Amino acid sequence: MELKSYDKYRMSFAPPTTSVKLVLLGEAAVGKSSLVLRFVSNDFQENKEPTIGAAFLTQKCTIGERTIKYEIWDTAGQERFASLAPMYYRNAQAALVVYDITKPASFIKARHWVKELHEQASKDITIALVGNKHDLVEDDNDGDDSSLRKVSIEEGQKLADEEGLLFFETSAKTAYNVNEVFVGIGSKIPEAPLLKPQQPQATDGRIDLSTGTAPAADGCAC
Amino acid sequence: MGKKKQEMSQVYGSNEFIFGERGGRGKHLSSFLKNLSLTGSSTRSGEAEDDVNRNIYGELSYGPAQSMQRRSSSSVRLSGRSVSGPVGSSYAHMGVPEKNLSLYSNQSIANSNPSLKKSTKLKYKDLDDDWDADLEKVDEAPVAKTTKSFSNSNPRYDNQMPVMVDSLYPDLIPVSQPALPDKDSMDYEDLKMKMEVSRLNQLNSKYMKFHKVLTSDANIDLTELRKLSWNGIPQELRALSWQLLLGYLPTNHSRQQSTLKRKRQEYAEGINTVSNIDLDEDAANANAEASRSELSLPSTTSSNRDKQIYHQIKIDVKRTNPTIKLYGYPATQRSLRKVLFLWAIRHPASGYVQGINDLVTPFYQIFLQNYLWQLQKKRTGEGEELFIPNLLDDNDECEKAILDDPQLARLSADTFDPGRLSSRATLIIEADTYWCLSRLLDNITDNYIHEQPGIIRQVGDLRNLISKIDVELLQHFDSEGIEFLQFSFRWMNCLLMREISIPLIIRMWDTYLSETPLGFNSFHVYVCAAFLIKFSNELKHKEFQEIILFLQNPPTSGWTERDVELMLSEAFIWHSLYKNASAHLR
Repeated sequence: MELKSYDKYRMSFAPPTTSVKLVLLGEAAVGKSSLVLRFVSNDFQENKEPTIGAAFLTQKCTIGERTIKYEIWDTAGQERFASLAPMYYRNAQAALVVYDITKPASFIKARHWVKELHEQASKDITIALVGNKHDLVEDDNDGDDSSLRKVSIEEGQKLADEEGLLFFETSAKTAYNVNEVFVGIGSKIPEAPLLKPQQPQATDGRIDLSTGTAPAADGCAC
Repeated sequence: MGKKKQEMSQVYGSNEFIFGERGGRGKHLSSFLKNLSLTGSSTRSGEAEDDVNRNIYGELSYGPAQSMQRRSSSSVRLSGRSVSGPVGSSYAHMGVPEKNLSLYSNQSIANSNPSLKKSTKLKYKDLDDDWDADLEKVDEAPVAKTTKSFSNSNPRYDNQMPVMVDSLYPDLIPVSQPALPDKDSMDYEDLKMKMEVSRLNQLNSKYMKFHKVLTSDANIDLTELRKLSWNGIPQELRALSWQLLLGYLPTNHSRQQSTLKRKRQEYAEGINTVSNIDLDEDAANANAEASRSELSLPSTTSSNRDKQIYHQIKIDVKRTNPTIKLYGYPATQRSLRKVLFLWAIRHPASGYVQGINDLVTPFYQIFLQNYLWQLQKKRTGEGEELFIPNLLDDNDECEKAILDDPQLARLSADTFDPGRLSSRATLIIEADTYWCLSRLLDNITDNYIHEQPGIIRQVGDLRNLISKIDVELLQHFDSEGIEFLQFSFRWMNCLLMREISIPLIIRMWDTYLSETPLGFNSFHVYVCAAFLIKFSNELKHKEFQEIILFLQNPPTSGWTERDVELMLSEAFIWHSLYKNASAHLR
């Protein structure tokens, strides 16, 4: 009952929830599913089975006054499945292009995805470049030859600057910088709610996967 | 469970009938129930028991089997000799109909499989896409009405039917049985015992039938083996049967040894030619150190592409079935890497595609299990006539050690560390796995080549099939903007292995391997249709997001073999009805 009236209050006074369709792209095994699992369930699994096709998840995120509901398509990374990707990024408002900072090939693949998105996806799509597995280089000293890091922060930042992307280095394993990615994307999404949200707003009570965490006044709700 | 069945019966509307034993005209549910009602008040005499068995099972088994089963039932009482080998899974393939549930009877169709196929084809030839019209002909009386009034006027059946169903499957006995009068509860105990006897008889008779076919003198009768296997293969005979059904093991006994020897040799040579990539590297070493050295691997003959493939396989094998102990052992992972890599190198058009790592596991697990079973049998000195040739070797030291293991009788592939096997036995299991996987994948090569046209076609076929069977569901999906690719791509790419647990998948493969052509391609689409329609009523009340979330994590964790067998039976019916109408599907 109370919840209901609270909802009513929110419906009438708070700005409506913005639905944002977000797609994850990147080479196989860079940690796309793990990033999403961290964001949605604040969890991590060491040997997460490979994604086939794509997985769908949702999560709400409160940024300042706004609530953004992410509808996330987490695509399979293996080259063979690449022909499915357009179906998922076609109508996306946001994309995370993920690479593994210990795997140079995955950075090359990330460049390809950014190019494809600029050519094929919606013109005003917000893209974030994400270098994952930061935990593997946490203890590194700069210039140490034994470092596992194969893609420097500078390289990542440079690509992001050239292509007009947001840029983050993250660790799904330690949760380092993960929420920041989604808050960052949310802040860049235009304030005006999309005129045609894919789903009616007030019907998704059971889909919100955030459990036990009350929405924070500011910052991300997860 | 109950709820699901209710829903299923709604899916099928009012067309409730029992299929006859040879697939012809069925008899009515009501008369079937009448037969069942005899069991409630039968006496404890052996003859009455046989009557019970005959009423429940007799009609459903084929000719010679029936007499065999009845003969053995006098020697197998509750405490009688058990089926040789562990009574692993339940093979009771007869479901007793519950109120309002027609589809159990499908299992009887399954029993008379090949002969039925013919008669079905004949019967339904001209009625390719009108399901209702078919049923009207088969089923002249308005049975649903009969059933309804029947159960209304006899509330007793409401109590009895579930009890009987559950006692066939002891695991499924509801926690809170409806309180029955004293007399009835005695009947219930009685009934339970009889059901158990019947179940053991079933298992025994099934085992004996397989034994007869598999040990026949000259050639093994594949047609007969398919017929039997369609309804599930006894656990201990599965490896042998699968190898025969796949055409890997020759049906001619005299050719078996030489063929296997040659095939295993070919595999060993194949592995040698690709072993410049460090195949034997342990998963344990596959940490930072190893991956560093891998990058600087001297590229002698192995191309860069091969290294990428191997890298991907290595990553994926580590995350294959991570919850099952067997797949955590370095020796398991090493074997899977070798099999997958050799297959990928030998099939450059597809290479390694994620999902194939799932498909390899049933073979590996079954063949490892068979090795352990043969050792167990060897120790007790029986069953040698059912061994896969050249698998055991008296000079194998590791094998001797396992034979001397006091725990031998309790070893199971689920938890066994294959690191205990000799390199000889390991190679044989890998080779058999490799060749059987190859034969399976030969049927679905289009699924894994560029742009995966096989899967795209199957997804399209599934959509069209749903438009024939459950147009309301299709309309709902369309109105919600659901695309079939979004949820069923994975069903095709991994053959439902992400949706259904491995033991049940193995049971499903018994049936797939008994289909001609093998069921991994077109029959699988019908199984997917049956799978989707199981949830039809729930899905029709959901919106886009709920549907997607539901279908990527369908509630199958409580499933038993019975659920799977029901699904296979439905698929079989639709396959019979629509396979000749495939032109309409395009």
